[in-house]
Amino acid sequence: MPTTWLILAIAALAALGFVAGRARAMTSAGGDARRLHSLPAYYGWNVALTVLTPALGLFVLWMLVQPFLVDRHVTGLIPDSAIGQGSSRGLVMSDVRRVAEGLSVLEARGADADDIAAMTPEALQDEMAAVGVALGTPMTPAVKAAAEAYRAETDGWRTWMGVAVLAAALGGLALSWRMTDKDFRARNTVERGILFMLLGAALVAILTTLGIVLSMLFETANFFEAYPWQKFFLGTNWAPDFRGNSELAILPLLWGTLYISLIALLVAVPIGLFAAIYLSEYATKRVRTLAKPAIEILAGIPTIVYGLFALITVGPMLRDWLAQPLGFGNSSSSVMTAGLVMGIMLIPFVSSLSDDIINAVPQSLRDGSYGLGATQSETIKQVIVPAALPGIVGAILLAASRAIGETMIVVLGAGAAAAQFNQGLGEVVNPFQAMTTITVKIVSQLTGDTDFSSPETLVAFALGLTLFVITLGLNVLALWIVRRYREQYE
Amino acid sequence: MNDMRLIDRKTTMNEIKIAAEGVDVFYGESHALKDVSVDIEERTVTAFIGPSGCGKSTFLRCLNRMNDTIPTARVTGRITLDGEDIYAPSVDPVQLRAKVGMVFQKPNPFPKSIYDNVAYGPRIHGLSRNKAELDEIVENSLRRAALWDEAKDRLAEPGTGLSGGQQQRLCIARAVATAPEVLLMDEPCSALDPIATAQVEELIDELRQNFSVVIVTHSMQQAARVSQKTAFFHLGHLVEYDDTDTIFQNPRDTRTESYITGRIG
Repeated sequence: MPTTWLILAIAALAALGFVAGRARAMTSAGGDARRLHSLPAYYGWNVALTVLTPALGLFVLWMLVQPFLVDRHVTGLIPDSAIGQGSSRGLVMSDVRRVAEGLSVLEARGADADDIAAMTPEALQDEMAAVGVALGTPMTPAVKAAAEAYRAETDGWRTWMGVAVLAAALGGLALSWRMTDKDFRARNTVERGILFMLLGAALVAILTTLGIVLSMLFETANFFEAYPWQKFFLGTNWAPDFRGNSELAILPLLWGTLYISLIALLVAVPIGLFAAIYLSEYATKRVRTLAKPAIEILAGIPTIVYGLFALITVGPMLRDWLAQPLGFGNSSSSVMTAGLVMGIMLIPFVSSLSDDIINAVPQSLRDGSYGLGATQSETIKQVIVPAALPGIVGAILLAASRAIGETMIVVLGAGAAAAQFNQGLGEVVNPFQAMTTITVKIVSQLTGDTDFSSPETLVAFALGLTLFVITLGLNVLALWIVRRYREQYE
Repeated sequence: MNDMRLIDRKTTMNEIKIAAEGVDVFYGESHALKDVSVDIEERTVTAFIGPSGCGKSTFLRCLNRMNDTIPTARVTGRITLDGEDIYAPSVDPVQLRAKVGMVFQKPNPFPKSIYDNVAYGPRIHGLSRNKAELDEIVENSLRRAALWDEAKDRLAEPGTGLSGGQQQRLCIARAVATAPEVLLMDEPCSALDPIATAQVEELIDELRQNFSVVIVTHSMQQAARVSQKTAFFHLGHLVEYDDTDTIFQNPRDTRTESYITGRIG
């Protein structure tokens, strides 16, 4: 609650600053807005932004840093004797945080602070369970003491934060209000402020990517400490075993990923491209307005629904009509099933983007070709598609990224068994064989009872990072192709 | 037909290549061209002049049925090429456009190499039996478009990398390579600088030896320099059509006189 009040107070100060700044500017100009350097609202915004920016910046920074400091201090308060067999300081700390939370809940419900302090840990645990805060392990006196210290410190720091943030807001208000004058270049200042806001928004996206990569990198490094990288990259067998002695080679999963994606693209690229050509070059306006949204509906279907379609309809159909009669096996989960359904999912990606790109080819090129006596088909084949090719390649690579990252369709369509390289190449290239992909295995390694120190779990991060590198490579390639072959149409 | 130009036998003895009679064009509801009748002669440069929106480009696009590519356009009347009605159901507009080539206002080279740009038409229409013949067609076309010397060492480079004037000459070479009988040019110099314009004009004069050239232009000087016949359009009507000298020195219609002296337009 106090945090909410703090934010509201800052907002109120900013609003006040807006009005005050605007009024002061008008007064300094003798009530004549034409004598001001900037429009009156700019003076208001200048004050409001100077109130908001430092205060909110400090607030966010404080919220990020405070838990670290408190944690570090309180961790030091826990004696080694309080850490039980098979436990760790980290686990005890999470109990401490939970108890501290429970204390807040109890006090919010009107319990007396002195009563709580006097309770034995056991009584306190029962009291907390009654209000819905359950602990996994029995509470020790040390945990109770640490939790009380944790709460006290957190509350203390919170108060200081409120004071500091309000001071920053008031300081900003006073400073900018004093600066406000009819010759002050409020417009330029506000615009520079906006510029930094835009820059900040761009930075958030970049920093998040960086953060994701770093966190993956650290966990991957942990994995490679527990498992040799040669076996991960060069091995041929995927056989995780949580009791140890796993074989965790990426090859069977990578092969499944690429194989399924390849089939998906073989389905999606021709159909999507031809649909795009039809829609942009041949279809009448009425057909186009109906057909384009209809195709794009495909993009709106959740992938789990595609997965059901693969599981219930496509899989059994392929098995009964193709795989069994032709002697390719009798599994309804197969690379072909997942590939076909994923291909259908990707059609709108290819067709919609290609359609936009083909439409962007200037009419003058079409006229030029018709003017030379080319038919519409010749014009499309020899002028329009080549001109649109970089964009089309970009669309295809985007679809490929989607295919590689797809999970649900694979689980339901192709199963969760990794390719068996040790059973011969015939098993591996058979498209009617069940197979699975990197994404599916990431999920299955991380679900259930997991222990974040065993290689069987950590392998998920190595797999994820590999996947990230592959899709990143595809995107870079797409960008490079688009830039290298892009035509300048003025 | 006119006896003032006896000295210039080339123009006076020419036969009629394209004859248009009572042509009307509608774009949807708007009546863009009203009852136009023109005879375009062989081996002659015919200029269409007139203020913007007067219908001259519209009429030009009727001559190779480019208006067919605009869904709302409707053309009535009769246009014949060598005596054959080009709007007859038996005529394939694609074949017609191979015979009546077109160069556009803005240079529009294809995103291909210079060579492939010029070879585009011959390849489509199967004009060469082998690579050597195609090479020859490309070279001849580029020479006729006065681009060979500049382009011969960079035939594999993209046509879009040329300068504006070179691009337009490439487009002319591309049109010439298809071996058309008539060449339609829709303001071919409007995007060019004076030097490139002069080169293109010189080229038009040379092309006259083999083709009829019809050129739409906003520049009266250009019409006077390159054409033998001039048609003046105004508000969708063909106001006057005569020898270029007559149009510019002795126009019969007051509107023509006003336009060429700069009072309307």
